[in-house]
Amino acid sequence: MIRNQRGEVAVALLLILPFVLTYGVLFLWPTVQMVYLSFTDAPLIGNGNWIGIENYVEMFDDRRFWTSVKNTAYFVVLTVIPNTLIGLAIAMMVSRLKGWQQSLILAMFFLPYILPVSVVYRIWAWMFNIQFGIMQFPISAVAGEPINVFRTQWMFMPAVAFVTIWWTCGFNILLFLSGLRSISTDIYEAAALDNASRWTIFRKITWPLIWPVTALVLTIQLILQLKIFDQVYLFTQGGRPDPSMVMVQYIYQMAFQKNEGGYAAAVAVALFVIVIVVSVLQYQFLRARGEK
Amino acid sequence: MSVAESSNAAVGAARAKNSTRTMKAFDVGGLILTLITVICAVLWAFPIYWGVITSLKPESQVISKTIEYLPRTWTIDAYWHVLVNTMIGRWYLNSLITSVAVTVLTLVISACTAYALSQLRFPGRRIIWYMILASFMVPIAALIVNHFILMARFGLINNWLGVIFPQLIHPVVIIVYKNFFDAIPKEYREAAKMDSASEWRIFTRIYLPMNWGITTALAIVTFIGAWNNFLWPFLAVSKPEMMNVAVGITQVNDAFGVQYARELAAAILAALLVAVLYLIFQRRVTQAIMLSAGVKG
Amino acid sequence: MKNLLKIAMLSTALLSVGAVQAQETVVWWDFLSGGDGVRMKALIEQFNEEHAGEITIEPTTLEWGTPFYTKVQTSAAIGEGPDVMTYHLSRVPLGVESGALAEISAEDLASVGLGPDTFAAANWEAGQSDGKQYAVPFDIHSLILYYNKDKLQEAGLLGEDGKPTGLDGVENFNAALEKLKPGSEYALSLQTSGDGTPWRVFYSLFGQQDGVFLGEDGTFLPDDSIPKAVAAVETMASWVEGGYAPALTEYEGSVALFTSGASALHMNGVWEVPTMADLTEKGELGFEWGAIALPTFFDHPATWADSHGFAIPNNVGKEMTPEKKAAVLEVISWMNKNSLAWANAGHIPAYTPTRESEEFKTMEPNATYSVLADTAVFDPKSTLAGVASPVYDAVANYISPAMNGEMGAQEAIDEMKADLQDQAE
Repeated sequence: MIRNQRGEVAVALLLILPFVLTYGVLFLWPTVQMVYLSFTDAPLIGNGNWIGIENYVEMFDDRRFWTSVKNTAYFVVLTVIPNTLIGLAIAMMVSRLKGWQQSLILAMFFLPYILPVSVVYRIWAWMFNIQFGIMQFPISAVAGEPINVFRTQWMFMPAVAFVTIWWTCGFNILLFLSGLRSISTDIYEAAALDNASRWTIFRKITWPLIWPVTALVLTIQLILQLKIFDQVYLFTQGGRPDPSMVMVQYIYQMAFQKNEGGYAAAVAVALFVIVIVVSVLQYQFLRARGEK
Repeated sequence: MSVAESSNAAVGAARAKNSTRTMKAFDVGGLILTLITVICAVLWAFPIYWGVITSLKPESQVISKTIEYLPRTWTIDAYWHVLVNTMIGRWYLNSLITSVAVTVLTLVISACTAYALSQLRFPGRRIIWYMILASFMVPIAALIVNHFILMARFGLINNWLGVIFPQLIHPVVIIVYKNFFDAIPKEYREAAKMDSASEWRIFTRIYLPMNWGITTALAIVTFIGAWNNFLWPFLAVSKPEMMNVAVGITQVNDAFGVQYARELAAAILAALLVAVLYLIFQRRVTQAIMLSAGVKG
Repeated sequence: MKNLLKIAMLSTALLSVGAVQAQETVVWWDFLSGGDGVRMKALIEQFNEEHAGEITIEPTTLEWGTPFYTKVQTSAAIGEGPDVMTYHLSRVPLGVESGALAEISAEDLASVGLGPDTFAAANWEAGQSDGKQYAVPFDIHSLILYYNKDKLQEAGLLGEDGKPTGLDGVENFNAALEKLKPGSEYALSLQTSGDGTPWRVFYSLFGQQDGVFLGEDGTFLPDDSIPKAVAAVETMASWVEGGYAPALTEYEGSVALFTSGASALHMNGVWEVPTMADLTEKGELGFEWGAIALPTFFDHPATWADSHGFAIPNNVGKEMTPEKKAAVLEVISWMNKNSLAWANAGHIPAYTPTRESEEFKTMEPNATYSVLADTAVFDPKSTLAGVASPVYDAVANYISPAMNGEMGAQEAIDEMKADLQDQAE
């Protein structure tokens, strides 16, 4: 028996060895290094001097840093809840269909999700192209003239959020769809017998029962959107870099364009802290709602 | 009952529900809802359609100021140009190799770890579990600077391995596997032990085969993620011949003049493989995503 | 002594012969797209043909501006940069400060016949930092005004000699735009978003008033230059506000507006000359085009100018073999000696023998605007200036928005000054 246990431990250690190596080298170590780096004035590649909290002091005075924090928060506000609600709405529409019709309609909503971000960027840059973009027809009809959406400052974030929702909503739709399928049909039948309106059924049955999925989608979205970089980076190319800067983009700019590794690491630590605080808060909030 | 079975049961129930509803009086509200659904779906998919159609027009028709839903002249000139004049074939190869490697390595690491955590008792188990939860919380994007420094130190910038390694942190995969391993009845394991099967044998002959479904699902999800990843491959590669396809089409400039059709053709080509695979294995992909995320909830 | 020297020279010569005998590959990065790109590709092909079996250039074209220079900088830091690359001389101070450029010794340059006496002094020195050479000039390029002859004819803006007249002075220029307005979608097309053209036009108009962008004491836009900067921005904004120029238009779009005949005038760099020439040759342009030096809006003629040059990245931890270095030097020197074909892309060659050759002096339309070389104003020599620098970013952040009326001209200049001053400290 003792021998068997020792064998078990040996096998276990062998099995977790790859994990320990990868997560140790690629997660734990870089995280520790990031914190260390943030206290130095090192360039991206090469050594620096220990300068204590100077980077952090500078960061609190840095206009661009705060812009990037604000923009990241703004982007989260513009995407997380709308993306979740739109996902739920579409999932409910799709779940009414059956068979091949459902497959077809679902595919149409889901297809954008599997596109690489640069493809999404090319497609929407073309859709909104100021001279030849097809979206300029409705825009001209409403605004009276074509508008360069991704170059008009106040429209930039909403437009990128819109594209992001179009791109990623498919994932949420699927989660909601699987949630909707697991709601017992008996409950609906009973409600139908009571002649309840669609809205009442939604409010009284679907919404409370789907809440755990909603909470899950909200959580995934929140963590995901705080890390926004790709779309904002691609769509700002050739425009105004600063007013639409988001946090990961600022880390990138500081490290790779301005060659200030230490300062970039300090911004990364800030992002790190924000993500952890937000996830803890959200977890508490959702749990509180769940218990209610 | 496994998740797959339960969702099948739910589908069955949903079908039953729908058929009872059609038995009732003609449902005008339902018809309107269906119509709205179809319109929304068409609008939703339109940008992709428009991108494809534009890429099949000659450049001179692309910049016409009227809307033409179908090309007046069909042409694959733009595609030809992209194939001949860019390294897109090479980029495809890079994407394919790195994405497959990320998928395989992630699954192997995760399945092994999950099995150990789920079925075996060993010292340090708790620490491993905390590490997984911690990596769950941490934004990997915040680590780009240090990942770059680390990979540079290893001499892996502009190298497939340098692209692959930092993409291996996927704690979700471990958690999903663990949940599935936990759900397998202990009797299997005990029976195998009676036959004095080794742990390795139990893992590879019982636990893995019983979860091929989830392995396929996780493989699909991980592959799509790696194929579409932009930020890290964008940073880890500066040599054009080492770029993956999503990065290459935005970073390397081979065009001159106004070339919207060519840009779109390159984009369509970049998306093509995964899009076609998705359309063929639609049901599988759909289930995979439901399965791999649903468990977390 | 003499013999010793001879032997030394002979052995060097032998060594360099040996160097080119082995096949060398030179990895080359540039940012040249458009007509520039076509001309450069042809040059590279010719080079490879002439050096078959000896040197092969492997060229790659990356996205112009910030993406290009970011890639160069990070690649060099880890020894993954190219062997040779094109580089804007305006960015040399910044490139040297960030450690991305390798010094090119005078001996190396002399070995392929390049030196201070084969380039104009100012041009040659623009490739230096602290007296050391980091880049070899290739051209001088500037801003010009393209025009659609048919439309100008119609509006009565062509003089007896068939060249545009009456465009000098802010008032006159705007009056001309007003005359051109009925005949076109836009009287004037230019890039009105991002950095590029907005900086070039701004700096020209600013230079025409003798504005000082960076004072000797390190002050950006000293007090007496602020009204000049504001005037320049206001002039640019008036084109958009008056509906003469398109708002928030990207570079490519601004070119397309002109080539498709939707605009009468087009402000852009000389590098689009081949685009027009090629379209004319293929009979796709649909109108007769011309180009003149930028009009004088203020006190005296002045036009922004910059130079393309060649530089060798400071590939950390990767020593260049003497054979490779010889090949790279051969590339740089050959390109300069064959730069007449590059002049064909609208540029003024940096290499004096080419620039002073009869062929170049009679080349059109270069001859028409070559006067601008005498009145060129170059970017301030600073680690904050040049392509893909804080100054360029500031243009995208403040001047372009002001051009489009998203910000007042005074506000834009004040903010730009504060921002740059902040970054300088």
